[in-house]
Amino acid sequence: MIGYIAHKEMREMRRDGRFQVAAGIVMTLLVVSVAIGWEQYVTVSRQHEQARAETREQWLTQGKKNPHSAAHYGVYAFKPKSPLSLVDRGADPYTGVAVWLEAHKQNEFKYKPARDANTLARFGDLTASSVMQLLIPLLIILMSFSAFAGEKEQGTLRLLLSMGVAREKLAIGKALGIAGGLGTLLVPAAVMGSAALMLGSEEGAFSANLPRLAWMTASYLLYFAAFIGLSLTVSAMARTGRLALVCLLGFWIFNGLAAPRLMSDVSRTIYRTPSSFAFAREMESELKKEQSEEALKRKVMAQYKVEKMEDLPVNFQGIALQASEEHGNEVYDRLYGQLWDTFEAQNRLQQQGAVVAPLLAMRSVSMGLSGTDFAQFRDFSVAAEQYRRQLIEVLNDDITKAGKQEGPHLGDERLWAKAPPFVYEAPGVGRVLSQQCWSLSLLAVWATSGAALAGWAATRRLRAE
Amino acid sequence: MISTIVKQEWRLLQADRTLGAVVLLMGLLVGYSLYNGSAWVGFQRETLAGAEAEQSKRLAKLKQDLEDFEAGRKEPKGFQDPRSAGAIGGVTAAPHVAMPPAPLATLAIGQSDLYPYYFKLNPRSKQAILANDEIENPTNLLAGRFDLAFVLIYLFPLLILALGYNMVASEREQGTLLLALSQPVTMGQLVAGKVLLRGGLLLGLVVAFTLAGALVTGVDLGSGTVWLRLGLWIAMMTLYAGFWFGLAVLVNSWQSSSATNALTLAGCWLGLVLVAPSVANLLATSLYPVPSRVEMVQAMRRAGKEAQLKGSTLLAKYMEDHPELMPEGEKTQPDFASITYAVQMEVDKQVQPVLDQFDRQVTRQQEFADRFRFISPAILAQSAMNDLAGTSLGRYQHFSRQVDGFFEEWRAYFLPKIFQKTKLKAADLESFPRYSFREEEDAAITGRVGVVLAGMAAFSSVVLMVGFGRIKSARAAG
Repeated sequence: MIGYIAHKEMREMRRDGRFQVAAGIVMTLLVVSVAIGWEQYVTVSRQHEQARAETREQWLTQGKKNPHSAAHYGVYAFKPKSPLSLVDRGADPYTGVAVWLEAHKQNEFKYKPARDANTLARFGDLTASSVMQLLIPLLIILMSFSAFAGEKEQGTLRLLLSMGVAREKLAIGKALGIAGGLGTLLVPAAVMGSAALMLGSEEGAFSANLPRLAWMTASYLLYFAAFIGLSLTVSAMARTGRLALVCLLGFWIFNGLAAPRLMSDVSRTIYRTPSSFAFAREMESELKKEQSEEALKRKVMAQYKVEKMEDLPVNFQGIALQASEEHGNEVYDRLYGQLWDTFEAQNRLQQQGAVVAPLLAMRSVSMGLSGTDFAQFRDFSVAAEQYRRQLIEVLNDDITKAGKQEGPHLGDERLWAKAPPFVYEAPGVGRVLSQQCWSLSLLAVWATSGAALAGWAATRRLRAE
Repeated sequence: MISTIVKQEWRLLQADRTLGAVVLLMGLLVGYSLYNGSAWVGFQRETLAGAEAEQSKRLAKLKQDLEDFEAGRKEPKGFQDPRSAGAIGGVTAAPHVAMPPAPLATLAIGQSDLYPYYFKLNPRSKQAILANDEIENPTNLLAGRFDLAFVLIYLFPLLILALGYNMVASEREQGTLLLALSQPVTMGQLVAGKVLLRGGLLLGLVVAFTLAGALVTGVDLGSGTVWLRLGLWIAMMTLYAGFWFGLAVLVNSWQSSSATNALTLAGCWLGLVLVAPSVANLLATSLYPVPSRVEMVQAMRRAGKEAQLKGSTLLAKYMEDHPELMPEGEKTQPDFASITYAVQMEVDKQVQPVLDQFDRQVTRQQEFADRFRFISPAILAQSAMNDLAGTSLGRYQHFSRQVDGFFEEWRAYFLPKIFQKTKLKAADLESFPRYSFREEEDAAITGRVGVVLAGMAAFSSVVLMVGFGRIKSARAAG
């Protein structure tokens, strides 16, 4: 029986010109966006790979110079693009792509791609994720708003019920029909996306990203299920198809357009972001609280058990540089930590906003699994900063150990090579899932309550008038 | 005749609950969005005031210190002589440059959360200007802001369509259309009356709400430029609303049911407001890709490397080129500040062509992308609103040019003093170059907005003309 109903729904959909057009457009957008995303990923990865090799080369061949000059010369770190960014570019356009790692300073990431774009970019990227988060729910609404309401209006519902069709079977059949219709669209798209991912990623990267892809598929299915359940509920409860459509479209606009902006305002009001002026002021005053050179000298002399600075077996300059470096590191850890915690608190609140708008949870999960959310940007920033500290310490140690010697102390390629190249590994899927647990559970709640509501509405509230 | 229709329609609309709901919703949306915009502008003003206060305090202290040194009340000490031009021009007197919010900034947040609107000038390196950024959570940048421009571009058309989707269709369905047309009135007049009333009502409300909101949030209505901008804003809104009403008339002329009309119009809205801009963005970025910043960084490094390597020999070379800067009675005795500046200037000289080329490419890309604005009235509206509110890329570039100019001026003042190792006096403070933001000329804004208005006018007039042309010959019964 259920199969019969589902079959009828799908056949009806296939014959509906409006559905065909809408589905055709959505499908085209999905294919185009994945293709472009793939192209961008390949290009950008190649550029970053080249730049990474070149910055290392420059570092190694910088010639003989004082190690501290080398520290000021520094290296650049480039944020790698994650393979799944072809599905969801997430916050990538709004985070810088390169950071200069130099002595004394934790620099900000520079060159946000969005700053080089123009007004167009702020309307939003066309990516597979935006199609799936915004357009497919709309398609679901169009497919299902008349599922019950339409049968009511046409009087066929009375006929169906009089034939003894169980209401729950009717509901399940309708849901399966819609899901089936959606499946004819999404399965080819998913296969194509996976193929693009496989072709685009380096060896091993694809299998490493498979768990992320699987979780992502599962969460999008939950998101779609929530919309199917919700649409069927409204369709069963509304007197007319038109009323059902208006209610569902209203919810769609709230979910897709208003809620993300509203929740970002709310989160900003509750967890205030400092201005960069205030942040820089605080940084400056904290950095000034360094211990005096005199105090450090006394400490070092006590440590080496000497009475006079001249008797030190090591070069004090290196020790002083490293001490100031460590004070700075402590300040950077604290202040950037606070700032980034604020961002994460804002993001968490936005995830929790999914109580009223499932898109907020979906967006967060999708960005997280694509590796394009703020948390993973932070992870990379921290790794780059750790590398900077390691690099500078190697150089300062060298200055310290040089002791006293005639003439200027110069480092050469041997010293530069002592600092290993910067290697970054993206966090595993487990970490992402733990960051996204709120969103994932809310998505699950939406899907199950959508199904439960649809079942309840179909059995208790569905009346043939 | 039309006035009679308007009166009749007014009675009908009053009896309908939709109108009340639309007015209430619009009031809430406009109110909230203006509150949001003014909170952001308030935050910007507060930050700028803080920066200004910090700067005057810093300069006052510097003046006091210099006076104390001159009078021998205090001894100068430190890594760099605090009286040296290097220390003063580079650190203690380093000026803040700022672009204060424009008069209508509360109306559209636009790009103002993305581009820095102030920073402390680092006179050592020109490239440092590029590095300045306002702090913002990337997730928030991604979501965008709930400002008046958002309400007007995304939501206002929906209200128009809600009032207009069944203008003719419902009368046809109820059979009252035949009755109305049996009077001495043409279909064109009837529809014009309906559109005029609905359009006048909605626009009147939006304009009234906007003006009231603007007044409450402290827009100075006394100045000419504010009225010019408000006038253009209202003109733009009228054309934008005209476009959506035209679309409603056009769809009503197809003589399908009001349900079909609603779906068709919703589809148009989706296509023009959501899909077209992102497709346009995709086209622009794939046909005219922005050159890679990563490659620019590498090119800058390559160009700068030579200069870095040469280090202090550069200063000697510089002094050979500029003997007039040689400190009197001295052989070239390189000091820290002179070397830093000499190296940095050489780096700048090498890097500048790379930067210039990159900027040219970005500008060209942006110009190409600008053409894609004409794909959808929504993009045109956003672009005009950003320009009028002073939150567009155009105004930011205007600010950048001023900063570049001021950077050169500041450097021209301090560099000779740095190389000559001049010790500055308290009295010199008066002669430091001063920065103040010059607002964009009205003509520049009118020029940019004019193009957009023309495009919008083309959209609206075509749709309105075709719509009214077709509805004249529409049948009165289903």
